[in-house]
Amino acid sequence: MVVDVANFATHTLNGIQYGFILFLIASGLTIILGILDVLNLAHGELYAVGAYVAFSVYGYATGLVAAPEGVVGLAVFLVVALLAAAVAAAVLIPLGVLLEALFLRPLYGRDEVYQLVLTFGLLLILKDVNKFIWGPLPVRAGDVYSGINAIPAAEFVGLNFPTFKLVIIAVGALVVVGLFYFFNRTKMGRIIRATAIDREMATAIGVSTDRTFTLVFAMGAFFAGFAGAMALPQSQANLEMGANPLVLSFVVIVIGGLGSLRGAFVGAMLVGVLSRWAVWQYPPAEIAAPFAIMALILLVKPNGLFGTWGETA
Amino acid sequence: MTDHPSTADDPRPLEAWGRSSYLPSTTTHDGERYVRVTRGMVLTPLRVVGWLALLVLFVAVPDIASLSSSIQLRVLHQGVLFGLAAVGLNVLLRHTKLVSFGHAAFFGTGAYTAGVLATHFDVTSMILLLAAATLIGTLMAGVIGFLSLRHTGLYFSLLTLAFGQLLYAIAQGQSYVGGSDGISVRPGDANQATLLGADLAPDVYAVVVYYLTVLVVVVALFVMWRIVNSPFGNALDAIGQDRTRAQFIGIPVRRYVLAAFVLSGVYGALAGGMYGLVQQHVRPESTLYFLRSGEILFMAILGGFGTLIGPLVGGIVLVFLQDVGQDFTNYFDALTGLVLVLLVFGFPRGIVGSLQSGSPLRDRAGALVDDPSVAGDWVQDGADALVAALSRAKRNLVVLVFGVR
Repeated sequence: MVVDVANFATHTLNGIQYGFILFLIASGLTIILGILDVLNLAHGELYAVGAYVAFSVYGYATGLVAAPEGVVGLAVFLVVALLAAAVAAAVLIPLGVLLEALFLRPLYGRDEVYQLVLTFGLLLILKDVNKFIWGPLPVRAGDVYSGINAIPAAEFVGLNFPTFKLVIIAVGALVVVGLFYFFNRTKMGRIIRATAIDREMATAIGVSTDRTFTLVFAMGAFFAGFAGAMALPQSQANLEMGANPLVLSFVVIVIGGLGSLRGAFVGAMLVGVLSRWAVWQYPPAEIAAPFAIMALILLVKPNGLFGTWGETA
Repeated sequence: MTDHPSTADDPRPLEAWGRSSYLPSTTTHDGERYVRVTRGMVLTPLRVVGWLALLVLFVAVPDIASLSSSIQLRVLHQGVLFGLAAVGLNVLLRHTKLVSFGHAAFFGTGAYTAGVLATHFDVTSMILLLAAATLIGTLMAGVIGFLSLRHTGLYFSLLTLAFGQLLYAIAQGQSYVGGSDGISVRPGDANQATLLGADLAPDVYAVVVYYLTVLVVVVALFVMWRIVNSPFGNALDAIGQDRTRAQFIGIPVRRYVLAAFVLSGVYGALAGGMYGLVQQHVRPESTLYFLRSGEILFMAILGGFGTLIGPLVGGIVLVFLQDVGQDFTNYFDALTGLVLVLLVFGFPRGIVGSLQSGSPLRDRAGALVDDPSVAGDWVQDGADALVAALSRAKRNLVVLVFGVR
């Protein structure tokens, strides 16, 4: 069988952009897990909230730019759309801070079962908040998708591939680089890692764990929301959208090693690309593929691909 | 049934309670009269009356349901079945301290086994369907347990979740089991299973299956009580407290934990098989989806995972709440969520656990009865805590956005 090269490239690129979306979600989950020791079941709903808020923000922002025409028009449209996504995600920061201060803080150090119950309760509540604000029907932002796809980027190499997905890949790569820079090179990132390695010691040398926890949770919420905002235009926002990414990001962080950022990146790429290949070759495998990958990897490496986070980012 | 006097009421060891007869009898201790139900189960008369009242209530549900349209037999029945699965899960949660997040796998396996046998193999006997469901579910628990018990803590939870989702994906994808439409459990001419060869009219069928469930639940609770109060149950407790120590004192940890996992799977599969018989149709969404696993776990916690019947109560309450909530408001999910949040902060021991003596809720109720004015203090304390949390959130947000000034 001859594998069609163009087809192969398309599916691989699809997998990579899917992997970046997964990474954005899973990175938040994994740093929250690594530092706060809380498995945040409501993380998928934060992703959904991001998508819904982005729907409203996109609607407002793209209204500012008339139908994009020409190189300049398209460029302006692209910038406005990306800014809108960032603004939508920024709404998640105060939400995350509030959730952390009101609900999670009293639970640190208590039995992990209660954290699961609480975050599951938050999941249900956030889901209905979405329903209350945006209604039960799915919403979409097709304008942004078609608008950005009007930029003929992939055709330079003779591929028929949506430009929007290329934008996701570019932005995702930027975020990855930014996150690793943040955790390896900046003072704040090192403080966070110090807190992850030894909470008591960090407190003893004057790190406010209180503030670090809030920061980490807000960061996690931000990236979940950003993933939602980036994923919205090519699909739709609906009330059930939080569940699947949540479960998949569990898979991703387990493959990579709990609490490991590098692991989350590798895991997300593996799951993204392999599951798209699976869909391409054998469509019914779509749901099962990530779990099969995870089971296989855990049988070979019981602690995931990378160890616990902290010593290296 | 939840606790026997050697731990709760009486410091004396169990042996002192006499073991002459296997029949129920009464004994006297410190001038108090106790009812000795069976070996090791000695209850105060009040408790016996309470248990009997509960049992009567349980048995009378079909009659109660016929009185009022807001109580439906089907809903309560479903609650009881999920509660039974939660009782099984509680073996892991309460004794070995393992949080299984994939219990729907066994529930679904049981339900699907009944469905496949009824649809593709024309098995009509209820007993056979249940037995097969339990058997296949047990095998599944053995396999999943063997693979996931290599890990503890969160890895274990996530692995069980993954295996559950894997089964869900398979059930969704295979047309043999009906894909996402599911499979029906309607063997025989009357489109339903038979009990001991007897065909039943549809309305009789529901009631008969309910009574079969009551029987199964009572037996299952008794068996569970026996197990958790056996040396095996104590060994599980030891494992839950400290694995390494348990290993050192000679408990075969891996074998015991696997046994506990399989035991919990048996309960889940049995409940799932009954669910198939009750609903007569099995869908992947309602039996295998990971939210179901979560719900089974939360039923155990809602009812009180430190107690034997807590998970059963939790199952009934949660299913009932969801059903009533659906009629009452569009936002029933948030209602459930709110209950869970209140549970965590207000009564972490769950419903049954909070009713037991010595629980924070009982203490508070006692204080309230003594001096009603403390309620004002509590409201004040709660408000203060809320204000403090909000101001800290605000300060942290300001620091995050603008840096330290």
